[in-house]
Amino acid sequence: MRSTFHGVETAKRSLFTQQAALHTTGHNIANANTAGYTRQVVNMVASRPIEAWGVQRSVVPGQLGTGVEFSSITRVREQFLDAQFRNENRSLGSWTVRADTLEKLEAILNEPSETGLRTVLDNFWNAWSDLSKDPQSITGRKIVVETAIALTDAFNHLSKQLNDLSNDLTEDINIRIADVNSKLATIADLNLQILRIEGLGDNANDLRDMRDLLVDEISKIINVRVVEGERGYNLYMGNTALLENGTIQNLDVASVEAARTSGDLDGGEIFGLLVSRDEYVANYRTMLNTLVDAIVNGEVTVTIPAGTVLPEGTELNGVVYTGANRLLTSDLTVTVKGLNQLHKLGYAFNDAGFQPGIELFTTADGSTTGITSENIRVNAAIVADPSLIATSMRTTGTPEEVVKGNNDLALLISKMRDAKFTFTAANAPIQTGTLNDYYRSITGQLGVQAQEANRQTVNLSAIVAQIDSRRQSVSGVSLDEEMANMIKFQHAYNAAARILTAMDEVLDRLINGMGVVGR
Amino acid sequence: MALRVTQTMMSNQLIRNINNNMSRLSNWQTQLSTGRVINKPSDDPVGVTYALRYRSELTANTQYQSNVDSALSWLEFTDMLLGQVGDIVKRAKELTLQGSTGTNPQVAMNAVANEIIQLKEQLVNIANSQLAGKYVFNGQMYDRPPYPNLGNAGTTETDDGAVYYEVGIGTDLTINVTGNQVFGRAADQDNLFQVLERIANALLNGDKEGAAAEMNHLDSRYEKVVSVRSEVGAKTNRVELMQNRLLDLELNVTKLQSKTEDADIAEVLMRYQTDENVYRASLAMGSRVILTTLLDFLR
Repeated sequence: MRSTFHGVETAKRSLFTQQAALHTTGHNIANANTAGYTRQVVNMVASRPIEAWGVQRSVVPGQLGTGVEFSSITRVREQFLDAQFRNENRSLGSWTVRADTLEKLEAILNEPSETGLRTVLDNFWNAWSDLSKDPQSITGRKIVVETAIALTDAFNHLSKQLNDLSNDLTEDINIRIADVNSKLATIADLNLQILRIEGLGDNANDLRDMRDLLVDEISKIINVRVVEGERGYNLYMGNTALLENGTIQNLDVASVEAARTSGDLDGGEIFGLLVSRDEYVANYRTMLNTLVDAIVNGEVTVTIPAGTVLPEGTELNGVVYTGANRLLTSDLTVTVKGLNQLHKLGYAFNDAGFQPGIELFTTADGSTTGITSENIRVNAAIVADPSLIATSMRTTGTPEEVVKGNNDLALLISKMRDAKFTFTAANAPIQTGTLNDYYRSITGQLGVQAQEANRQTVNLSAIVAQIDSRRQSVSGVSLDEEMANMIKFQHAYNAAARILTAMDEVLDRLINGMGVVGR
Repeated sequence: MALRVTQTMMSNQLIRNINNNMSRLSNWQTQLSTGRVINKPSDDPVGVTYALRYRSELTANTQYQSNVDSALSWLEFTDMLLGQVGDIVKRAKELTLQGSTGTNPQVAMNAVANEIIQLKEQLVNIANSQLAGKYVFNGQMYDRPPYPNLGNAGTTETDDGAVYYEVGIGTDLTINVTGNQVFGRAADQDNLFQVLERIANALLNGDKEGAAAEMNHLDSRYEKVVSVRSEVGAKTNRVELMQNRLLDLELNVTKLQSKTEDADIAEVLMRYQTDENVYRASLAMGSRVILTTLLDFLR
């Protein structure tokens, strides 16, 4: 048996439902540009018909519908795309940072240019070549000193820039870690709120959007895996739990470094920063130090011309030269240890007295061992008195006097430009070669790495953009669609209102127009 | 798959594409404004190693050229001095001939002897010549005069050290000749200073035969001076050859460097134009597409 007001109730339900749909359309339109927003739909179902089966059912034929109601408001979202997006986003995060670091390294190396290390090194050899033409020239000596200082300055500067870069990267890692930790806290909080709301049977659509957006953001910083558990999202980095059943495991510098070692951390910006700092920057610093070490102490074969008088007590290839032995009667091919030992084979022009050459390069505090790109300096004594530069390898008379016109040592040093040095470091790109070869291979290696990183970044950002597009295609708000929906719902609303009016008229007739026969 | 397209997708894609087009334009612009294809190692990792090599070779080449110039000026200076020495020896021969033949009175012989003494002094001056502060005839000891005393020039020996100049990769050239080679060692019969002294003494003593006997020493010394001079000439030729080779090398390496590093401006401009058109099109398209929605057509 239907009720008198059945039609009014049906129209009312329709009005409410269409209105809810209109409101949701409004909500969608309002959030068309909100990051992470997922379009929502009102799921309408026909409400239960009044005639249930049973003995009491009326004999009126047909099941009379009771209109519409909405069962839920849900997000239109595909979980699979989320996982895919996060997976690629971590690689993008990592490679973006790495490309960025390598670009900075390229800027630090500053090649090809007329101001990079190559130029400074070439100038240094040129100065020696010039000095070999005129060993007595004070200007020539000063130029050698100046170009040597320019060389050590260039190394010091490169080293400082690498240190600065390394510090910046550490700073960045700390910022990213703090970011992840604060996001984890927010997600844990959202987990609770969502749990409460959904416990009451509603869908916490907007809160879920916020939570997914946060996970998306984290996925750029570290590799993150989401498992939806009873108490909301559990987040894992590899096998390390970051958030599990409401317990947050905060990241810190030690834990990300350990995670990188164990392989749990294998993507995202923090991974890229760690790789940049501990591989790229550290390697280039080592390579630079190897270059410095080769210049100062690297093994190189030289041919000392006949007629040379070696300084008293010189030891070459295990032979100690003393007394009459010091005068070489034939060319002597030996291995010397870098410019420092080479320079000690000659004699200074010191006015104060006869004196063999001293080390060309020292550390900042004057030590002759442990010279690195950071602390390499030109020997302070030579800077103070360029006459200490040794160019001659010949002496004459008693007491001994240096033969000033002998330029053998200047020539030997000038020829180090093309001499093959031995590079001992494990990560040296080449084991033997000229200093220029070595520097070139560093530059080439950096170029290859930077090119690869740029390529990866471009590829990955295309992939991420494509996945994001597909996600947008599913979840994004289309204004056209919302407009069309709006018209649809508006018309339905209007029609329902019209039904209500019709019902009103029916009841009006029933109540006011009936039982007045003959009046 | 029928893709649902939303406004956000369109505008994101538009922004991305415009960015891509912009970065291409920026790349061309860098190449145009620097004139170089390789501006950082990642532009062409292999090319950059060549670029560095060529640059180093050019720097070294410039240095070798400057060394060659110095070597040439040393050689030319030596050649000039040797020419003067030759002239003096020739003059000495004439004078000796003049003094030792015929029936010259002692006065005339004295006059000849005096001139020969003058010639010897002139020779010592030449032997002590300096080029830019360097005594060119004193071997490696060119910081001091080879013949400091006029009186004992005949018994003084110069240093025998060779002065090397670096005129190419691994190429060192001796560019000096020593006083010993030109004027003779102390023990040599034809030591020029001693010969001249002996002639002068003989003439002063009226010993015509003694003077005439020195003629063949003068001759043999003259031969030696000429041979040293021709050696210097040969060396000059070699250095000039080296100079030409260095210039050729410079040209070649510069060409190679340009091929590796330099941008083909015409090509870059063409590509720039093409990409600029694409960029403009993407902007124009964007302005149309993202402005309109269904809203514009609803009444």
